[in-house]
Amino acid sequence: MRTAVAATLVALGVAGGHCAEDLEAPWTLPRLMSEFAAVRSSRARFTERKFMRMLDRPLEASGTLAWDAPSRLEKLTLRPKRERMLVEQERVTMERGTPPKQRTLSLGDIPMLRAFIESIRATLAGDLATLERFHRVELEGTAEHWRLVLQPSEAKTKSVVRVIRIVGRRGDIATVEIEQADGDRSVMTLVRDEP
Amino acid sequence: MNRSHLAIAAWLLLLAAAAAVIAQTRYSADLSAFLPRQPSAAQQLLVDQLRDGVVSRLVLVGIGGAPPAKLAEASRALAQRLRGDPRFVRIDNGDALYTERERAFVFEHRYALSPAIDAAHFSTEALHAALEDSLELLASPGGLAAKPLVQADPTGEVLLLTDRMAGGSRPELHDGVWVNSTSTEALLVLQTQAPGFDIDAQEDALAALHTGFEDVRRASGAAGLELAASGPAVFAVQSRAAIKGDAVRFSSLATGLVALLLLVTFRSPRVLALGLVPVLSGAAVGVAAVSLYFGEVHGITLGFGATLIGEAVDYAIYLFMQTDARRGAAGTLARIWPTLRLGVLTSICGFSALLLSGFPGLSQLGLFSIAGLVTAALVTRFVLPGLLPHRFAIIGVERAGAIVRRTFQHARKLRPLLAVAVVAAFAVLLSREQLWNDELASLSPVPMRDQLLDRRLREALGAADVRHIVVARAAGEDQALALAERVELALEQAQGERLLARFESPAQVLPSAATQLRRRDSLPDAPTLRRRVADASLGLPFRSGTFEPFIEAVAQARAAPLLDRASLTGSALAVRLDALLARHSEGWFAMLPLSGVADAKGIEHALATLADPHVVMLDTKSEADALYRSYLHDAIALSLAGAVAIVILLSAALRTPRRVFAVCVALAAAVLVATATLVALGQALTIFHLVGMLLVVAVGSNYALFFDRALVEGIDDRTALSLALANTTTVIGFGMLGFSSAPVLTAIGSTVGIGAFLSLAFAAALAPGEAGMS
Repeated sequence: MRTAVAATLVALGVAGGHCAEDLEAPWTLPRLMSEFAAVRSSRARFTERKFMRMLDRPLEASGTLAWDAPSRLEKLTLRPKRERMLVEQERVTMERGTPPKQRTLSLGDIPMLRAFIESIRATLAGDLATLERFHRVELEGTAEHWRLVLQPSEAKTKSVVRVIRIVGRRGDIATVEIEQADGDRSVMTLVRDEP
Repeated sequence: MNRSHLAIAAWLLLLAAAAAVIAQTRYSADLSAFLPRQPSAAQQLLVDQLRDGVVSRLVLVGIGGAPPAKLAEASRALAQRLRGDPRFVRIDNGDALYTERERAFVFEHRYALSPAIDAAHFSTEALHAALEDSLELLASPGGLAAKPLVQADPTGEVLLLTDRMAGGSRPELHDGVWVNSTSTEALLVLQTQAPGFDIDAQEDALAALHTGFEDVRRASGAAGLELAASGPAVFAVQSRAAIKGDAVRFSSLATGLVALLLLVTFRSPRVLALGLVPVLSGAAVGVAAVSLYFGEVHGITLGFGATLIGEAVDYAIYLFMQTDARRGAAGTLARIWPTLRLGVLTSICGFSALLLSGFPGLSQLGLFSIAGLVTAALVTRFVLPGLLPHRFAIIGVERAGAIVRRTFQHARKLRPLLAVAVVAAFAVLLSREQLWNDELASLSPVPMRDQLLDRRLREALGAADVRHIVVARAAGEDQALALAERVELALEQAQGERLLARFESPAQVLPSAATQLRRRDSLPDAPTLRRRVADASLGLPFRSGTFEPFIEAVAQARAAPLLDRASLTGSALAVRLDALLARHSEGWFAMLPLSGVADAKGIEHALATLADPHVVMLDTKSEADALYRSYLHDAIALSLAGAVAIVILLSAALRTPRRVFAVCVALAAAVLVATATLVALGQALTIFHLVGMLLVVAVGSNYALFFDRALVEGIDDRTALSLALANTTTVIGFGMLGFSSAPVLTAIGSTVGIGAFLSLAFAAALAPGEAGMS
């Protein structure tokens, strides 16, 4: 928990240094979205920490994330166990275990999963319409340090996910934080590979 | 009251009696008519399955023609509508199994249902491993959703059960309903309440499906929505409709043509109507006779029987055409009766072979034909003359008669051609490795297009392939479930060896009492479990108390009563159980349908290790084919025996070998050449062709015998013309059916159409000595 708070503080501090440069041009959702839309493909390494009440220490996982416009998102967890999640259009393929067992489902089947996946994917795609379809969307901060606050609009999802916060710098995502209704939360930190 | 009035009175009495019997008659479409009188267990099971088994009630449905979201909406709307319809007992569109109700049931009874439960399952070591897995699950992308489940079910019983019920590779879901792999079609599986053999009820259920879909389509606003349905019931209904439609279309056309021809010849509607009297009387008496002797009449008997006594129409033609004013009807009959009588006896020889068959279906057909023909002949002989106008004669046919007679006289020149045709026929027939198609599917009137649709839906749904099914029989319900569990073990092993992909079992829905007890007894009490969970959590980050819901649930399961059929009442699981576990006169049957069978022999081998004679693997296709094959072979053997009987009869009646030779060779050559023609045209012979051949012999024997009689008194113009007319009506009547798309109609129609023409030609060609030269 403390680490995550520290990370956020550091992020805020770093962002603070750049604030002045963008004062005259207001940082808006459409501008953020167009930054993302310009990126057709990106790769990143991620570290994810889950904080749960039933656990006395956070669960940590790490791996890679690959984005290819318009709709392909692959999350490959390498530690502690290899696991693959591939989202293509409406289809989600999960692969885990040895030997790998595949499970395919449609995003529409699990609204909660949809809200979670679309929060990242629609952001990466620069697709404001989709974001707004599933969430109430607010943008704070500046181009160098913005924060996107997504509140699920669907009742069933709302009962599980309270809010999703995405923090980033221009067309890059730095962290994705999901806060659950029961107080548990997860924080995913991303480091983008240089293209 | 003279003799003819007496005959008419007796005839009317007979008809009244027949009508009384027919009014009481039970008609059946029971498939057991195709069963030998002493069926094997597998044959009996097969017929039971075909009659009212699960697979015979399945309707596979695809909805296409709109974007995925619309399809899902339509699927749900249709399912909801049909779930309220008593004609359907099961509607699966992907969400049925996963409705709250079933989910809650599986969750609540997970420790009674899960196959993983045994004493070792809740040992400290196993729990530690389970908790490590839970941790992994929590860390996974789906971990968010799995949290509540992890606390109540850390050993993953619900996941295991859901996976098993979903059958591994069920169709994919889109918006909660099944779709094909490209999301262009929403998929549903329906199970009708009516058994498969009840085609009327199936038709009704399908109509409800179509009406329901139309309403859904209209309400959805997506005009492009399309419904595709398949399955045994759909095939049965469509085939019947197709055969009915074809039969009506082609026979009305043929009847119209024949009636027109006869009307032109007879010049009297009354005489035309009288011509039908023998055949209709014969049919009535035939039905009554079968009903009295067998207690019921099979639909097939009605259909084929009416065809087989088609010969009787000719009787009237012979009488009418050969009667002239000089001789009168009585004189003509006195003259032609010996010939007709011998013809009837010949036909009876052919048909009586069927009577002796070991299949009730064939026996009925034999009895019907014999009773019908005898009646028709007697009516022609004794009743018709009394009904004809005084000094009856067909006039204005002399010139036509003379032309036909001269044509017949030239027929002898055809003898070399006949010899060539017979040799060629032998060559064709002997060159075929397999003359007879002994697959039951050869009788299927289902067009290729529909068979492809069926395969597409079946593959998309991963539905049981309807071919392989393991049946386990036991005295009681619980014993049947226990036996099913033993079968499951064998099948799981076979699954491990990749002999099959999946199977379903009733014991997966409702385990046997013994199994439930064993599982219940292996659950530890709360203090023990709490201690083990604490021990198992050592070194893992779970806070103490996290698994209290789990400990609570196990404690509840220890105290819960055993599940029985009543516990399932009202849920989709009850319907599922009913489909797989059924009560029969001889006890309870547990049915385990297999899918993705790669090696049937290997599976049989695995089942053999159970060493239980009450466990049978049924390959419905090969079993049905074997049954049809024995039916067909029985019929062929009996027909050959009938042919021998005909030769003996003719030898006794005609005495001189030369005459016997002429008649027999004409008939045999006609059957041979007609059959070879069809084979050369690419038809594989089926039982329908055999029925056709019998009819060729029946009709053709009359032709040959008339030519034979000409040996004594010469053939006259009227006799020649009567033969030509009888032949033309037969060729038109049956030839028309040859154009049908239903195999049964095509086979009979083409065989008789070609065969009847050839028998006349050959009979004329082979007429002995100076026949017809008078």
